[in-house]
This record gives sequence, structure tokens and C-alpha cells, in this order.
Amino acid sequence: MKRPFCKASRLLIGLAAAALLLGAGRAAIAQVKSAEAPPNKAVGSKSAPIMLVVFSDFECPACRALYEQTLRPLLDDYVAVGKVYLVHRDFPLQVHKYSHDAARYANAAAHFGKYERVSGILYDNQESWAADGNVGKFVSQVLTPVEMKRVQAMVDSCREGSVAAKPASLRASPQSGPGCQLDKAIDEDVAAGQRIQVSQTPTLLIIHNGRTDKIAGVVSYQILKAYLDQLLAH
Amino acid sequence: MSEPSAFKIGRILLLFGRLILGGIFIFAAYSKLWPLTAVKVNLAFFAMQVDSYQLLPPWGVMFVAHMLPWLELALGVFLLIGWLLRLVSTVTSLLLLGFFTVILRSYSAGLEINCGCFGPNEKLDITTIVRDGSMLALSLAVMVGAFLTRRPAVESAPTAVAAPEPQETE
Repeated sequence: MKRPFCKASRLLIGLAAAALLLGAGRAAIAQVKSAEAPPNKAVGSKSAPIMLVVFSDFECPACRALYEQTLRPLLDDYVAVGKVYLVHRDFPLQVHKYSHDAARYANAAAHFGKYERVSGILYDNQESWAADGNVGKFVSQVLTPVEMKRVQAMVDSCREGSVAAKPASLRASPQSGPGCQLDKAIDEDVAAGQRIQVSQTPTLLIIHNGRTDKIAGVVSYQILKAYLDQLLAH
Repeated sequence: MSEPSAFKIGRILLLFGRLILGGIFIFAAYSKLWPLTAVKVNLAFFAMQVDSYQLLPPWGVMFVAHMLPWLELALGVFLLIGWLLRLVSTVTSLLLLGFFTVILRSYSAGLEINCGCFGPNEKLDITTIVRDGSMLALSLAVMVGAFLTRRPAVESAPTAVAAPEPQETE
């Protein structure tokens, strides 16, 4: 009966090594630089104890559910009172035809401090613009005519020479116009996501006091609230 | 092959099976509970992973998230030491059957979520289904082995525990 016990001890050593690797993986995620967060796509106080980074795609139904059911109440209860700093990151997926275009509009609106408002209107009317690609129709509802004119000009300049409405990161050779800062910002978000192995939307990254947790999928507000309260109490 | 050697091999296989399964369960509990200094935060985070399956109401999510890691730990320890093996392996099999069903349902529904099985960064995909299916098969094998293996006490029952002769009293 010596051999089985010898193998059993090897198994236990293997499990212990796996446990150490798991700890190392968590530490790697914790090294994500919070300073990279784009300020014009963030809401709340930068000095808030919790930073919540959301990687999302405007055309993804789960992202809409997360935004409408979870992030909206979060804005009132945690962001407005300085407990959470909410950062939006665009992660348009290749399977969605107009999500990159929608991200361009939102990023252009961010220059006027209206990323959040544009996000809201795009999620609320997702089914409409996702059917015909007329994103501008809804964006214009939350911008002034002057802002809309400039936003449209920025989006159009990116469209010139671009290959369809796909993310530059997914094209063999980026074809966006030379002055297209919008695609650059989107690509930076996608790259930031890829660095921490974001592969699906929505993905939440919650950073607090050196601890970083990543969760993919829709999380109900009540459950997220319980987690945030535990973080704040810890 | 003589019966005693077949019996011995069976017991060795059962030992390996329960050690592997016990180790897996202890590791699963560890990945959800560690570090213990932040166990409440860890369990609240695990609740978000349970919630992402979109199967339970919030109270159900909280109950499962706060109970499951401790149950996994207890089952893992009991499997390692081999205590109440028939009962523990049956509970383990039922639990794994539940996990397998939920994972299969979520994958079929196209949910792009993390498994939450062994830590935070584990996408639910076909490998998760294969892995959980293998664990279920192992658990069922341990359960069958536990029921087929005769208890030592039962073997020696006729001689060791002899019933007292009824005495007639007048």
C-alpha cells in the first residue's frame, strides 16, 4: 500500500501548486493600471474608494440589461455620493454590425461630456438602431444641434476610408482617416480589455484597495450592492 | 484473478477516486474562500458569479453563494478521510449532477459568463462541460465503489457481534 499513498501525496502537492498559481493569477489582474481610465468616459469622483470599469458593447443585449437594471441605480446610490468611480470602456464585438459605429458616436459625445447620456439613449433604443444602423437619429436626441453637428463630423471623418463599421483592431490594416481619434480611443479600450483577458461583454472590473475582481455577464443590482457594501466595510 | 486481489484493486481504485475528488472539492472551496481575512467579500463576489447564471432570485443567490463553498470544503475533507463514504459520495454525485445540468443549460442558452467553479477568471465553454462531466463520472464511480465495497464490520458481524441467546425466565 505504499505506492498509492506516494501518488496521493504527489496529487496533493499538485493541488497546492495549482492553488498558488490561482493566487498569482489574481495578483496579475490586480496590477491593471487604474490610471489609464479615460476621464471623459467616467462618472463620479476619481477619489472614490471603489473603481468600477465596465467593458461593454452597445449592441449586446446583456450590456443593455446591465446598464438599465444595474448601472442606472448604481449611478444614483453609489456614484453620485462618491463611493464608486464608474469608468466605461468600449469593447465592440465583431459579431455586431453597428456596435463600432455606436461606440464612435459615444466617444465623440464624450468630447462634450455626454458619453453617459448617449450610452443611455443608445441602450434604451438598442433594438431600433441595431435593425437599421441609424445611430445618429437617437444620439441627436440628447445633444444640442451644434454638438450633434460636430459629433456627426467626427464620426464621418472616421468613416471615410474605413472598411465597413468594424473595429480597427479587427482589421488587417487600419483604414481609418488620419484624424480619427475616435477609433484610436476605442482601440485603446479594446487593447486594455485584451490585456486582462476580457473576451465577452459585459465584463466588470472592480478595483478597491489593491484588490481587483473581474466578473462577466449580467449581475443584478441587489447582488452587486451587497458586494460593494462588503468592499466598503472591509 | 482471485477474489481477494480483485477486491484489493477495487479498494485501491476507490482510494484514488476519493482522493482526487476530495482534492478537487477542497481546491474549489479554497478558490472561493481564500483569503480568509476577506471571506465575506469573497463570498459576496462569488454571489455575483452565481447571479450571472440568471437562475435564482437574489435571496436564492445569496443562500447558494454563502453555503456552497463550505459544503464543498466539508465534502472534500470527508472524501479525503473516507468518512461516511456512501452518504458523502451520493451527496457529491447529486451536487455534481446539479452543476453539470446548470452548466449545460447556460452553455446551450448562449450565456457568456464565467463558470465560477475554480476561481474568478474561468470562462464557461465546452471544456467546462467536458471537465464537469468527467468529474461527475468519477463521482458516480466512487459512489458505486463505495456501495460495492463491503464494510469490514459487516464481514465480521456473525462472529464479532453475536446476539445473546434468549434466556427463558420462569
